[in-house]
Amino acid sequence: MVVAAIRNCVVLLLLLLLQLELFSSLRFFGVMPEVMLAAAIAAGWYGGPSGGAIVGFSCGLFYDFYLATPLGLTALTYAIIGYLLGQISAFLSDEAEWIVRITISVAAVTIGLVLFVTFGELIAEPNLYNRNFGKILVIASLYTGFLMVPIHFMMAWAFGASRVNPAGFDR
Amino acid sequence: MAAPRRYSGSRFTLALLVLTSVTLISLDARGYAPVGNLKKAGIVIVQPFRSLARTVFSPIGNAWESLSNGDELERENAVLRKQLDELLSYRIANEEAVNDLEALRTQLGLQGLGGQETVVAEVTAGSVSNFDPYVLEINKGTQSGIREGMPVISTGGLIGRIENPGLRDSRVRLITDPTVNIGVLAIGTKEIGILTGNGVDQPMRVIDGIPISAPVEVGSILVTSGLDRSPYPEGFAVGSVVEVVPDEVNLEKELLVEPTGEMDNLDFVTVVLYLPPSLE
Repeated sequence: MVVAAIRNCVVLLLLLLLQLELFSSLRFFGVMPEVMLAAAIAAGWYGGPSGGAIVGFSCGLFYDFYLATPLGLTALTYAIIGYLLGQISAFLSDEAEWIVRITISVAAVTIGLVLFVTFGELIAEPNLYNRNFGKILVIASLYTGFLMVPIHFMMAWAFGASRVNPAGFDR
Repeated sequence: MAAPRRYSGSRFTLALLVLTSVTLISLDARGYAPVGNLKKAGIVIVQPFRSLARTVFSPIGNAWESLSNGDELERENAVLRKQLDELLSYRIANEEAVNDLEALRTQLGLQGLGGQETVVAEVTAGSVSNFDPYVLEINKGTQSGIREGMPVISTGGLIGRIENPGLRDSRVRLITDPTVNIGVLAIGTKEIGILTGNGVDQPMRVIDGIPISAPVEVGSILVTSGLDRSPYPEGFAVGSVVEVVPDEVNLEKELLVEPTGEMDNLDFVTVVLYLPPSLE
């Protein structure tokens, strides 16, 4: 338990630094990947609903420190997404093809972004829903999808998954 | 297919986290100071790791930028950096040097700073979000005298204002943000309007306040009006008019305005240590 917590902290810090200092510069058509959201999603796969929600909340809270939106908005979104992925993973076989998991993860990124903007709109946050929303949704989801495999490996390590199966990731 | 696993207590965990998040959102939106301090503390704790990561990753980011923007930007950057270095070196010189500085400012299109103290800050990062591209991060904060709302300028004029300053860093809200409004005056006239941001790569707009008969044309320069409770001192160049759209119904002109201040590929900006009279 303690080891998993420490490993999760290390992974989250590393991913936060990558998000802030690397991927904020490596943009495609002005859009960067949502690495912290991907971490919340992967945490759902390996940590179940509770682990996904807690790690998702932590991911969002870390990221919230650097955003102009109110503290807690991203944490709320990522906690829900982590929880949902945890529930979904419970219904998937351990032998499920990796492509299925990645596809579900990419869809979860899209849902996460929509949820984030919806919550933002509900509290009248400016700038979240704008003319580029569609572009952000498509590019960010695909771009994040490309990074899903290494993030899955990292979260598998963080949660102490015994091995990563080439055909399907172990939980 | 394997039987679904059961996770006990997960709904309770989620409910607790949702409640915590909603509480934080509510408190932060109301400007509750401890939440703001929590944010700042989080940033301070991560800062050493972030500085290290910046050193490691910035060459990759620069290489990517060069690839995506071409060599032209690099060349332009080098020229601007050289000009800025010249400007900075003149700051501490004697009266003759001050005169030279004024000449350089004129040459570079920087507005006179009206005797205001300034702080030059390095741009450490752009936006770190897909949804809010209207921010920059700089490496100076309250320790250098920077306060909330102070104007920020670059070569050419006003580019934004300080938001949420920390001890050693601050965020700059750019004037292209659609939520930013600035009272502007058209040079050579007495016409005052409200300039509003219109998003990335879109011209800003002055919708109200300019009568259709006013002598404001394409090429007119708009400066900060400094009137009433304006957070900006008067006379900073903000933008130049690129299109005039007459509104025959309201007998007004809508102005489309390009910012005069350089906003792309910035290395340094200048914060004007100005507080409006109402806040002094």
